Amino acid sequence: MTPFLEIRGIRKQYGPVVAVQDVNLTVGRGEFMTFLGPSGSGKSTTLYILAGFEQPSAGDMLLSGKTVLNTPSHQRNIGMVFQRYTLFPHLSVGDNIAFPLKMRGWSKADITERVRKMLKLVRLEGFEDRKPAAMSGGQQQRVALARALAYDPPVLLMDEPLSALDKKLREEIQHEIRRIHHETDVTILYVTHDQEEALRLSDRIAVFSKGVIDQIGTGAELYANPATRFVAEFIGDSDFLPCIVTDVVGGKAAIRIGDGICVGAIPLHGKAMTGGAAMLMLRPERLTLLPEETPHTLAARIDDITFLGNTIDIAATTGDGNRLSVRLPFGHQALQGLQVGAQVRLGFDPAAAHVFAV
Amino acid sequence: MLLNFNSLGSWKWVLLAITFLTAAFLLLPILFIAALSFGSSQWLIFPPPAWTTKWYSQLFADPRWLDAAWTSFRIAVMVTLLSVVIGLFAAFGLVRGRFFGRTLLRALFMTPMILPVVVLAVALYAFFLRIGLNGTTTGFVIAHLIVALPFSILALTNALEGFDKSIEDAAVLCGASPLKARLLITLPSISHGLFSAAVFSFLTSWDEVVLAIFMASPTLQTLPVKIWATLRQDLTPVIAAASTLLIVVTIALMLVTALVRKGLKA
Repeated sequence: MTPFLEIRGIRKQYGPVVAVQDVNLTVGRGEFMTFLGPSGSGKSTTLYILAGFEQPSAGDMLLSGKTVLNTPSHQRNIGMVFQRYTLFPHLSVGDNIAFPLKMRGWSKADITERVRKMLKLVRLEGFEDRKPAAMSGGQQQRVALARALAYDPPVLLMDEPLSALDKKLREEIQHEIRRIHHETDVTILYVTHDQEEALRLSDRIAVFSKGVIDQIGTGAELYANPATRFVAEFIGDSDFLPCIVTDVVGGKAAIRIGDGICVGAIPLHGKAMTGGAAMLMLRPERLTLLPEETPHTLAARIDDITFLGNTIDIAATTGDGNRLSVRLPFGHQALQGLQVGAQVRLGFDPAAAHVFAV
Repeated sequence: MLLNFNSLGSWKWVLLAITFLTAAFLLLPILFIAALSFGSSQWLIFPPPAWTTKWYSQLFADPRWLDAAWTSFRIAVMVTLLSVVIGLFAAFGLVRGRFFGRTLLRALFMTPMILPVVVLAVALYAFFLRIGLNGTTTGFVIAHLIVALPFSILALTNALEGFDKSIEDAAVLCGASPLKARLLITLPSISHGLFSAAVFSFLTSWDEVVLAIFMASPTLQTLPVKIWATLRQDLTPVIAAASTLLIVVTIALMLVTALVRKGLKA
């Protein structure tokens, strides 16, 4: 079976600057795929190439097995919601949604019917005659979504559509987007730099870094098994400790950390030689706090204890001067009598930690 | 705020007085002319001994005055159309284009605004003499277009810069060709800029006198030229009537602009 959307070796160069180095990706029909990465990582450029606003320097993009690169933007039949508010300011909400349908020569009755259906989809019934300027940012983006979906595009592109909204509204519209995705079964490519948004919305996430995709997977896969240090840092919280690889067996490494403790059977990423330097990644919520001396644990001193509602964040410094944080649920027994300045031992499950070769 | 009008105490009366004097300084000559145009004295005595509309009757009965007014209007309309269309293309190039010397070109387009008009007039006169455009409508339109275009380009580049190109991109993805997107979405969105460009272009041509004097021929003159020429021959209150008319058209246009702006914002 040919994949629904296929991105093959896309490269985009502006003079000497490489915005997208080599992006390869396949997306299934009806899938919600998020491009996650910091600004300048090439995620938006990839999206704009698919929209037809940029021409790639190399590579191809295929929709149902056919290249889209030779089709001008307005004939690609792709829907898009932009970062900024892009409703046509001089047209009412109804006319905004009707615009793509008029361009496609729909009959007046069909247009009226569809506009009503789309307004119902985004829960803005009765707003037909409003002008965009008389609506809130959240409402405007919902109308933009209705306009982009009105003509049943095979692919919907969303370029950080919620970045201009405040947190509460953002979460509300994230729910709406999920619901609409389930109701319409449209294939969505969603660009964001917000990991929480990506985790909340996506079926799969492609993590962009410096013009390439570091890793593609579900949120859980990326969290549990980050392929690179960048992914580990971008999805979830993580701390890194320098270490020396003492042995490598079948994708797992045994390491020695600063003050001499040795831990084995930690998943290893990248090529590491025995005796080579590496970084040990630890997630704050996977660390345990142990009161007294236990073998294979890190000695640390408590620097700070922060109450964050349902969790408590503890900042600690290891014996050799590296900072680590530990996150414990509120009311955890290890917290009892814990003071700033106390000497503790930090333990971790080797299977939940990762070693990245440097 | 540092300078709050209400907390100024007695200073606020000084400010009010200055404001009033400035307004009087600017408006009194206009009121004076308007009053004279209704005065019965043939020698433009002020205050007028009695009131009459006979100068207006004379003005409207004289085909030479009507001719001049019609010429002014005709030329102003042509200048307006050309200025808005050319200004629009120039604005798109200046705002959307990415080429070497863009800022320089933009500054260059503004030079007719700062160049002494009389210098421009002499140069154009000499040039048009050579190619036979003096005393023609075409010559008039070109001359006025040169001074009107900077206003048009300024208004339209500002409007286009304030317009988010993503909106046009959205229209293109909706299925509108780039040309259609610009006609159906971009132009209506910058209508206030188009309107300002049109009004300023019209007014620039409508009351322009320096270039017009150089371009005019005995058979082709605009209203300001006719006023100036008549003034040199004899001092009749008809001039005051014609001047008042000129001003009324200008004020009316400014009022319409203000109203349309308010309407566009609402």
